[in-house]
Amino acid sequence: MQIEIDKDLCCGAGTCTLVAPDVFDQDDEDGTVILLDAAPGDEHRSAVEEAALRCPMAVITVG
Amino acid sequence: MTQSRESDHPLTTRPFPTARPSGCPFDPPAPFAEARQECPVSPLRYPDGHIGHLITGLRSARAVLGDTRFSSLPPGKRSPVKVPGSELSTDVLPPGMFVNMDPPEHTRYRRLLSKHFTIRRVRELRPRIQEMTDRLLDEMEGKGGPVDLVEAFAKPLPTLVTSELLGLPEENRAQFGHHVDVLFSLSSSGEEMQESMTLLGGMLHALIAAARKDQGPDILGRLTVETDLTDEELLGITFVLLIAGLETTTNMLGLGTYALLRHPEQLAALRADWSLMDGAVEELLRYLSVVQIGPIRVAAEDFEFEGRPIRKGEVVTVSLPAANRDPLGFDDPDAFDIRRGATRHLAFGSGPHQCMGHHLARLELSIGYESLLRRFPGLELAVPAEEIGLREMMVTYGVLGLPVRW
Repeated sequence: MQIEIDKDLCCGAGTCTLVAPDVFDQDDEDGTVILLDAAPGDEHRSAVEEAALRCPMAVITVG
Repeated sequence: MTQSRESDHPLTTRPFPTARPSGCPFDPPAPFAEARQECPVSPLRYPDGHIGHLITGLRSARAVLGDTRFSSLPPGKRSPVKVPGSELSTDVLPPGMFVNMDPPEHTRYRRLLSKHFTIRRVRELRPRIQEMTDRLLDEMEGKGGPVDLVEAFAKPLPTLVTSELLGLPEENRAQFGHHVDVLFSLSSSGEEMQESMTLLGGMLHALIAAARKDQGPDILGRLTVETDLTDEELLGITFVLLIAGLETTTNMLGLGTYALLRHPEQLAALRADWSLMDGAVEELLRYLSVVQIGPIRVAAEDFEFEGRPIRKGEVVTVSLPAANRDPLGFDDPDAFDIRRGATRHLAFGSGPHQCMGHHLARLELSIGYESLLRRFPGLELAVPAEEIGLREMMVTYGVLGLPVRW
């Protein structure tokens, strides 16, 4: 699984960090997404897909 | 132009519905389901006479809220109902009122504020919120039932949390709450709204002056030190945070407790397994969707959206209660089921304006419900259910009062 994010578009809601904390984190300065692992194992797939779906700005692409 | 559009759509004779179906206080107004069945994007007559749009489908609602061709600038006189600002002059948008801004202006404010609402920051607040909650429950228990849960708990908890976060002095809190109530009541007159806006503005000015001097650890204090925001901008920001922090959480606590008491089998399941609490909070957010009017958007250009022509200036109102009951998004959507895993709801909106305080709201709600239910194992309504008054005429839905005993 390959993950791409568009950090410029991120609104800092932190939903991804709530749903998939092993893969995403939130910047302490502006709340925007930090991608911890751009190629996580398949055990994270459902959480990452959920994060992508719930992202209010749809900035997460899962390949 | 309005005339010709009107004749195109015979459905547009109804104004924005707010009355709940009789005997079903948790269900959205009946015309929403009807409108959604016809089309998730329907024509709607607005009080100024123009025919705009109503969004009742989950997918369409998410699409509108994420599409910047739908502007967040205030609709002014084109608003679907009278809301704060709709009766006031909208010629000049007050600085800092970022809820009514579009990117990139909106983005700048959002980036400056988000650090105070990250998951990490919010989790640090847990012990303090628990302490405030326990203190309120001690007072309630000491007083003995029956008490109005709204006055004893649902109002004071978010007020304490928001006030401490922002740095609001204790002596002003009741007045702040009162003015927010006036601004959010659909039955307030334009004069009453203007008066509350003016008084609130004066109080906030004094608060900001004090924050500049004290440079405390609260959000206002931090913003005066860490940013170059002007006093006028801080006033707008404080106003937004205050309103966002008080109304919604208060009504979720009150109406949510009422919903749990009215669904005894769900309440029993929760009491038997507190690990269901996070799911229960999500389901209550979905099922109740207390923001019952809006988000409201204004088309910034002419374009086609989901097969319907949208013209610049037309107003689009999203119904979150309707979207969160969309059968295409949730199985058996009108059932209240704390085990359904209802995470993909839009109770906090979506897009660039999605609620910035959603982590805080979830934390306040889960601590609030669980502490209340654990403290009073025999919690029940102190009056017949039919006597519970509902906030049908408010922007934020909820109970007017909730007399309980234990």
